Amino acid sequence: MKTKSRVRLVYFLTLAGTLLWLGLIFLAPYLKSRDSGLNIFAYLIFAPICHQIPARSFFLFGHPLAVCGRCLGIYFGFLGGMGLYAFRRRFSVTTLPRIRTFILATSPLVLDGMGNFFHLWSTPHWIRFLTGFLWGLILPFYFITGVSDFFINRDREKAERSKNIS
Amino acid sequence: MNEQKTLVLTPALIGGAIAGVLSGIPIVSCMCCLWIIGGAILATYLLSKTTSAPLTSSDGAIIGVFTGIVAAVVKTILDVILTPLNREIYQRLMERFAEYMQEMPPGFEDMFSESSFETTVPKILFELLISGIIFSALGALGGIIGISLFKKKPPQPPQGAPNVPENTGNRQS
Repeated sequence: MKTKSRVRLVYFLTLAGTLLWLGLIFLAPYLKSRDSGLNIFAYLIFAPICHQIPARSFFLFGHPLAVCGRCLGIYFGFLGGMGLYAFRRRFSVTTLPRIRTFILATSPLVLDGMGNFFHLWSTPHWIRFLTGFLWGLILPFYFITGVSDFFINRDREKAERSKNIS
Repeated sequence: MNEQKTLVLTPALIGGAIAGVLSGIPIVSCMCCLWIIGGAILATYLLSKTTSAPLTSSDGAIIGVFTGIVAAVVKTILDVILTPLNREIYQRLMERFAEYMQEMPPGFEDMFSESSFETTVPKILFELLISGIIFSALGALGGIIGISLFKKKPPQPPQGAPNVPENTGNRQS
Protein backbone atom coordinates (compact mmCIF):
# COMPACT_ATOMS: atom_id res chain seq x y z
CA MET A 1 0.00 0.00 0.00
CA LYS A 2 2.85 2.38 0.90
CA THR A 3 4.56 1.59 -2.41
CA LYS A 4 1.47 2.61 -4.33
CA SER A 5 1.06 5.87 -2.42
CA ARG A 6 4.72 6.76 -3.00
CA VAL A 7 4.49 6.00 -6.71
CA ARG A 8 1.29 8.01 -6.93
CA LEU A 9 2.92 11.00 -5.20
CA VAL A 10 5.95 10.92 -7.51
CA TYR A 11 3.64 10.49 -10.51
CA PHE A 12 1.45 13.51 -9.77
CA LEU A 13 4.39 15.75 -8.87
CA THR A 14 6.09 14.77 -12.14
CA LEU A 15 2.86 15.39 -14.05
CA ALA A 16 2.53 18.85 -12.51
CA GLY A 17 6.16 19.62 -13.38
CA THR A 18 5.70 18.42 -16.96
CA LEU A 19 2.61 20.59 -17.49
CA LEU A 20 4.44 23.60 -16.03
CA TRP A 21 7.43 22.90 -18.28
CA LEU A 22 5.28 22.70 -21.40
CA GLY A 23 3.40 25.81 -20.34
CA LEU A 24 6.67 27.77 -20.11
CA ILE A 25 7.65 26.62 -23.61
CA PHE A 26 4.49 28.19 -25.03
CA LEU A 27 4.57 31.17 -22.68
CA ALA A 28 7.91 32.39 -24.05
CA PRO A 29 6.68 33.40 -27.53
CA TYR A 30 3.49 34.84 -26.05
CA LEU A 31 5.51 37.08 -23.71
CA LYS A 32 7.72 38.09 -26.63
CA SER A 33 4.68 38.99 -28.73
CA ARG A 34 3.55 41.25 -25.89
CA ASP A 35 7.02 42.88 -25.72
CA SER A 36 7.35 41.71 -22.12
CA GLY A 37 10.93 41.66 -20.81
CA LEU A 38 10.10 38.41 -18.98
CA ASN A 39 10.39 36.55 -22.27
CA ILE A 40 14.19 36.69 -21.85
CA PHE A 41 13.93 34.59 -18.69
CA ALA A 42 11.48 32.23 -20.32
CA TYR A 43 13.90 31.54 -23.18
CA LEU A 44 16.90 31.50 -20.81
CA ILE A 45 15.42 28.64 -18.78
CA PHE A 46 15.59 26.35 -21.79
CA ALA A 47 18.91 27.66 -23.15
CA PRO A 48 21.08 25.09 -21.30
CA ILE A 49 19.27 22.15 -22.86
CA CYS A 50 18.25 23.28 -26.33
CA HIS A 51 20.02 25.09 -29.16
CA GLN A 52 16.79 27.09 -29.76
CA ILE A 53 17.62 27.61 -33.44
CA PRO A 54 14.51 29.31 -34.92
CA ALA A 55 14.92 27.39 -38.20
CA ARG A 56 14.43 24.16 -36.23
CA SER A 57 11.54 25.41 -34.10
CA PHE A 58 7.79 25.74 -34.41
CA PHE A 59 6.38 29.25 -34.22
CA LEU A 60 3.57 30.75 -32.17
CA PHE A 61 2.40 34.37 -32.11
CA GLY A 62 5.07 35.07 -34.74
CA HIS A 63 7.96 33.95 -32.52
CA PRO A 64 9.79 30.65 -32.06
CA LEU A 65 8.85 28.38 -29.17
CA ALA A 66 11.39 28.16 -26.36
CA VAL A 67 12.65 24.79 -27.64
CA CYS A 68 13.25 23.19 -31.02
CA GLY A 69 10.87 20.76 -32.71
CA ARG A 70 12.68 17.66 -31.50
CA CYS A 71 12.79 18.79 -27.87
CA LEU A 72 9.11 19.73 -28.08
CA GLY A 73 8.39 16.22 -29.32
CA ILE A 74 10.33 14.73 -26.39
CA TYR A 75 8.34 16.76 -23.85
CA PHE A 76 5.00 16.02 -25.45
CA GLY A 77 6.05 12.37 -25.66
CA PHE A 78 6.89 12.49 -21.96
CA LEU A 79 3.39 13.82 -21.27
CA GLY A 80 1.90 11.07 -23.42
CA GLY A 81 4.08 8.54 -21.60
CA MET A 82 2.67 9.78 -18.31
CA GLY A 83 -0.81 8.88 -19.51
CA LEU A 84 0.44 5.50 -20.74
CA TYR A 85 2.15 4.87 -17.40
CA ALA A 86 -1.00 5.42 -15.37
CA PHE A 87 -2.94 3.17 -17.71
CA ARG A 88 -0.42 0.31 -17.90
CA ARG A 89 1.24 0.34 -14.50
CA ARG A 90 -1.53 1.63 -12.24
CA PHE A 91 1.10 2.85 -9.72
CA SER A 92 1.97 -0.64 -8.49
CA VAL A 93 4.79 -1.90 -10.71
CA THR A 94 8.31 -0.73 -9.93
CA THR A 95 10.39 -2.49 -12.57
CA LEU A 96 12.30 -0.80 -15.37
CA PRO A 97 11.45 -1.39 -19.05
CA ARG A 98 13.41 -3.93 -21.05
CA ILE A 99 16.56 -2.92 -22.90
CA ARG A 100 15.04 -3.74 -26.28
CA THR A 101 12.16 -1.35 -25.59
CA PHE A 102 14.69 1.41 -24.94
CA ILE A 103 16.62 0.57 -28.10
CA LEU A 104 13.44 0.49 -30.21
CA ALA A 105 12.25 3.85 -28.93
CA THR A 106 15.68 5.52 -29.11
CA SER A 107 16.88 4.31 -32.52
CA PRO A 108 14.76 6.67 -34.69
CA LEU A 109 15.91 9.66 -32.63
CA VAL A 110 19.58 8.71 -32.76
CA LEU A 111 19.50 7.85 -36.48
CA ASP A 112 17.71 11.03 -37.43
CA GLY A 113 19.89 13.14 -35.16
CA MET A 114 23.10 11.67 -36.56
CA GLY A 115 21.88 12.06 -40.12
CA ASN A 116 21.15 15.74 -39.61
CA PHE A 117 24.33 16.38 -37.62
CA PHE A 118 26.56 14.93 -40.34
CA HIS A 119 24.49 16.62 -43.09
CA LEU A 120 23.43 13.32 -44.63
CA TRP A 121 19.86 14.57 -44.78
CA SER A 122 17.69 17.35 -43.38
CA THR A 123 14.41 16.24 -41.88
CA PRO A 124 11.34 18.48 -41.62
CA HIS A 125 10.00 19.65 -38.26
CA TRP A 126 7.30 17.03 -37.98
CA ILE A 127 9.72 14.12 -38.29
CA ARG A 128 12.00 15.63 -35.64
CA PHE A 129 8.93 16.09 -33.46
CA LEU A 130 7.85 12.49 -34.07
CA THR A 131 11.26 10.92 -33.27
CA GLY A 132 11.40 13.00 -30.10
CA PHE A 133 7.83 12.01 -29.21
CA LEU A 134 8.60 8.30 -29.57
CA TRP A 135 11.56 8.55 -27.24
CA GLY A 136 9.69 10.74 -24.78
CA LEU A 137 6.96 8.11 -24.47
CA ILE A 138 9.19 5.63 -22.59
CA LEU A 139 10.99 8.11 -20.34
CA PRO A 140 8.32 8.29 -17.59
CA PHE A 141 8.66 4.52 -17.14
CA TYR A 142 12.25 5.13 -16.09
CA PHE A 143 11.91 8.41 -14.25
CA ILE A 144 8.89 7.58 -12.10
CA THR A 145 10.14 4.07 -11.37
CA GLY A 146 13.58 5.22 -10.31
CA VAL A 147 12.50 8.22 -8.24
CA SER A 148 9.75 6.17 -6.55
CA ASP A 149 12.30 3.46 -5.79
CA PHE A 150 14.51 6.07 -4.10
CA PHE A 151 11.70 7.16 -1.75
CA ILE A 152 10.51 3.60 -1.10
CA ASN A 153 14.06 2.53 -0.15
CA ARG A 154 14.42 5.58 2.08
CA ASP A 155 11.17 4.71 3.89
CA ARG A 156 12.34 1.12 4.29
CA GLU A 157 15.70 2.21 5.78
CA LYS A 158 13.94 4.58 8.19
CA ALA A 159 11.61 1.77 9.31
CA GLU A 160 14.56 -0.60 9.81
CA ARG A 161 16.49 2.01 11.80
CA SER A 162 13.56 2.72 14.11
CA LYS A 163 13.04 -1.04 14.51
CA ASN A 164 16.71 -1.47 15.53
CA ILE A 165 16.47 1.40 18.01
CA SER A 166 13.33 -0.02 19.65
CA MET B 1 29.75 5.41 4.57
CA ASN B 2 32.73 7.46 3.29
CA GLU B 3 33.70 4.58 1.02
CA GLN B 4 30.16 4.54 -0.40
CA LYS B 5 30.35 8.27 -1.07
CA THR B 6 33.68 7.88 -2.89
CA LEU B 7 32.26 5.05 -4.97
CA VAL B 8 29.43 7.30 -6.17
CA LEU B 9 31.35 10.59 -6.44
CA THR B 10 34.19 9.44 -8.69
CA PRO B 11 31.97 8.09 -11.52
CA ALA B 12 29.70 11.14 -11.15
CA LEU B 13 32.70 13.48 -11.46
CA ILE B 14 33.94 11.71 -14.58
CA GLY B 15 30.51 11.44 -16.24
CA GLY B 16 29.56 14.97 -15.23
CA ALA B 17 32.83 16.49 -16.46
CA ILE B 18 32.53 14.83 -19.87
CA ALA B 19 28.86 15.79 -20.19
CA GLY B 20 29.57 19.36 -19.08
CA VAL B 21 32.43 19.79 -21.53
CA LEU B 22 30.42 18.42 -24.47
CA SER B 23 27.45 20.61 -23.52
CA GLY B 24 29.67 23.67 -23.47
CA ILE B 25 31.62 23.25 -26.71
CA PRO B 26 30.07 25.17 -29.61
CA ILE B 27 28.48 23.16 -32.45
CA VAL B 28 28.83 19.87 -30.50
CA SER B 29 26.57 21.28 -27.77
CA CYS B 30 23.59 21.12 -30.15
CA MET B 31 22.93 17.62 -28.79
CA CYS B 32 22.07 19.48 -25.57
CA CYS B 33 20.23 17.38 -23.01
CA LEU B 34 21.36 14.09 -24.56
CA TRP B 35 24.93 14.74 -23.37
CA ILE B 36 23.73 14.98 -19.77
CA ILE B 37 21.75 11.76 -20.06
CA GLY B 38 24.74 10.13 -21.76
CA GLY B 39 27.08 11.33 -19.03
CA ALA B 40 24.83 9.86 -16.35
CA ILE B 41 24.67 6.57 -18.25
CA LEU B 42 28.47 6.57 -18.36
CA ALA B 43 28.64 7.30 -14.62
CA THR B 44 26.32 4.37 -13.95
CA TYR B 45 28.47 2.13 -16.10
CA LEU B 46 31.60 3.15 -14.18
CA LEU B 47 29.80 2.58 -10.88
CA SER B 48 28.69 -0.89 -12.00
CA LYS B 49 32.33 -1.73 -12.70
CA THR B 50 33.59 -0.59 -9.29
CA THR B 51 31.06 -2.41 -7.13
CA SER B 52 30.01 -6.04 -7.08
CA ALA B 53 26.72 -5.30 -5.30
CA PRO B 54 23.61 -5.26 -7.48
CA LEU B 55 22.52 -1.70 -8.19
CA THR B 56 18.95 -0.46 -7.94
CA SER B 57 17.19 2.24 -9.92
CA SER B 58 17.41 4.36 -6.78
CA ASP B 59 21.23 4.19 -7.01
CA GLY B 60 20.96 5.26 -10.64
CA ALA B 61 18.85 8.25 -9.69
CA ILE B 62 21.33 9.35 -7.00
CA ILE B 63 24.42 9.07 -9.15
CA GLY B 64 22.54 10.74 -12.00
CA VAL B 65 21.70 13.74 -9.84
CA PHE B 66 25.35 14.14 -8.83
CA THR B 67 26.42 13.79 -12.46
CA GLY B 68 23.96 16.49 -13.48
CA ILE B 69 25.22 18.91 -10.83
CA VAL B 70 28.84 18.39 -11.86
CA ALA B 71 27.89 18.85 -15.52
CA ALA B 72 26.08 22.11 -14.70
CA VAL B 73 29.14 23.53 -12.91
CA VAL B 74 31.54 22.46 -15.67
CA LYS B 75 29.29 23.82 -18.42
CA THR B 76 28.85 27.16 -16.68
CA ILE B 77 32.63 27.56 -16.24
CA LEU B 78 33.15 26.63 -19.89
CA ASP B 79 30.46 29.09 -21.03
CA VAL B 80 32.20 31.93 -19.20
CA ILE B 81 35.58 31.01 -20.73
CA LEU B 82 34.28 30.43 -24.26
CA THR B 83 31.90 33.41 -24.56
CA PRO B 84 34.33 35.48 -26.70
CA LEU B 85 34.83 32.49 -29.02
CA ASN B 86 31.08 31.84 -29.18
CA ARG B 87 30.48 35.47 -30.09
CA GLU B 88 32.92 35.22 -32.99
CA ILE B 89 31.48 31.94 -34.25
CA TYR B 90 27.91 33.23 -34.20
CA GLN B 91 28.90 36.51 -35.85
CA ARG B 92 30.44 34.57 -38.73
CA LEU B 93 27.30 32.43 -38.96
CA MET B 94 25.25 35.62 -39.00
CA GLU B 95 27.26 36.95 -41.94
CA ARG B 96 26.70 33.73 -43.86
CA PHE B 97 23.00 33.61 -43.09
CA ALA B 98 22.57 37.29 -43.98
CA GLU B 99 22.64 36.19 -47.62
CA TYR B 100 19.47 34.24 -46.94
CA MET B 101 17.89 36.76 -44.56
CA GLN B 102 14.70 37.11 -46.55
CA GLU B 103 14.15 33.37 -46.43
CA MET B 104 14.78 32.99 -42.70
CA PRO B 105 11.83 32.91 -40.33
CA PRO B 106 11.14 35.95 -38.13
CA GLY B 107 13.00 36.18 -34.83
CA PHE B 108 16.14 34.71 -36.35
CA GLU B 109 18.28 37.80 -35.89
CA ASP B 110 17.40 37.98 -32.17
CA MET B 111 19.37 34.81 -31.63
CA PHE B 112 22.57 36.70 -32.28
CA SER B 113 21.85 39.84 -30.32
CA GLU B 114 24.64 41.23 -28.16
CA SER B 115 22.77 40.49 -24.94
CA SER B 116 23.08 36.78 -25.69
CA PHE B 117 26.82 37.02 -25.07
CA GLU B 118 26.93 39.14 -21.93
CA THR B 119 28.59 37.48 -18.93
CA THR B 120 27.28 39.35 -15.92
CA VAL B 121 27.48 37.70 -12.50
CA PRO B 122 23.66 37.57 -11.97
CA LYS B 123 23.26 35.96 -15.40
CA ILE B 124 25.95 33.39 -14.65
CA LEU B 125 24.41 32.56 -11.27
CA PHE B 126 20.93 32.31 -12.79
CA GLU B 127 22.20 30.00 -15.52
CA LEU B 128 24.06 27.89 -12.96
CA LEU B 129 20.93 27.56 -10.83
CA ILE B 130 18.71 26.66 -13.78
CA SER B 131 21.30 24.29 -15.24
CA GLY B 132 21.78 22.65 -11.85
CA ILE B 133 18.08 21.90 -11.46
CA ILE B 134 17.47 20.79 -15.04
CA PHE B 135 20.69 18.79 -15.38
CA SER B 136 19.96 17.04 -12.06
CA ALA B 137 16.60 15.86 -13.37
CA LEU B 138 18.11 14.81 -16.70
CA GLY B 139 20.98 13.14 -14.87
CA ALA B 140 18.57 11.20 -12.66
CA LEU B 141 16.78 10.01 -15.79
CA GLY B 142 20.07 9.02 -17.41
CA GLY B 143 21.22 7.21 -14.28
CA ILE B 144 18.01 5.20 -14.10
CA ILE B 145 18.32 4.31 -17.80
CA GLY B 146 21.93 3.30 -17.14
CA ILE B 147 20.85 0.94 -14.36
CA SER B 148 18.47 -0.82 -16.74
CA LEU B 149 21.34 -1.22 -19.22
CA PHE B 150 24.13 -2.24 -16.84
CA LYS B 151 22.45 -3.81 -13.84
CA LYS B 152 23.95 -7.05 -12.65
CA LYS B 153 21.77 -10.10 -12.28
CA PRO B 154 21.61 -11.44 -8.70
CA PRO B 155 23.96 -14.42 -8.20
CA GLN B 156 22.39 -17.78 -9.02
CA PRO B 157 22.62 -20.52 -6.34
CA PRO B 158 25.12 -23.27 -7.30
CA GLN B 159 23.58 -26.34 -8.99
CA GLY B 160 22.95 -29.23 -6.65
CA ALA B 161 22.69 -27.01 -3.55
CA PRO B 162 19.85 -28.04 -1.21
CA ASN B 163 16.72 -25.89 -1.42
CA VAL B 164 16.48 -23.97 1.85
CA PRO B 165 13.00 -22.54 2.45
CA GLU B 166 13.05 -18.73 2.39
CA ASN B 167 12.22 -16.97 5.64
CA THR B 168 9.60 -14.50 4.39
CA GLY B 169 8.98 -12.87 7.78
CA ASN B 170 6.76 -9.78 7.67
CA ARG B 171 6.57 -8.21 4.24
CA GLN B 172 5.49 -4.63 3.64
CA SER B 173 4.09 -3.68 0.26
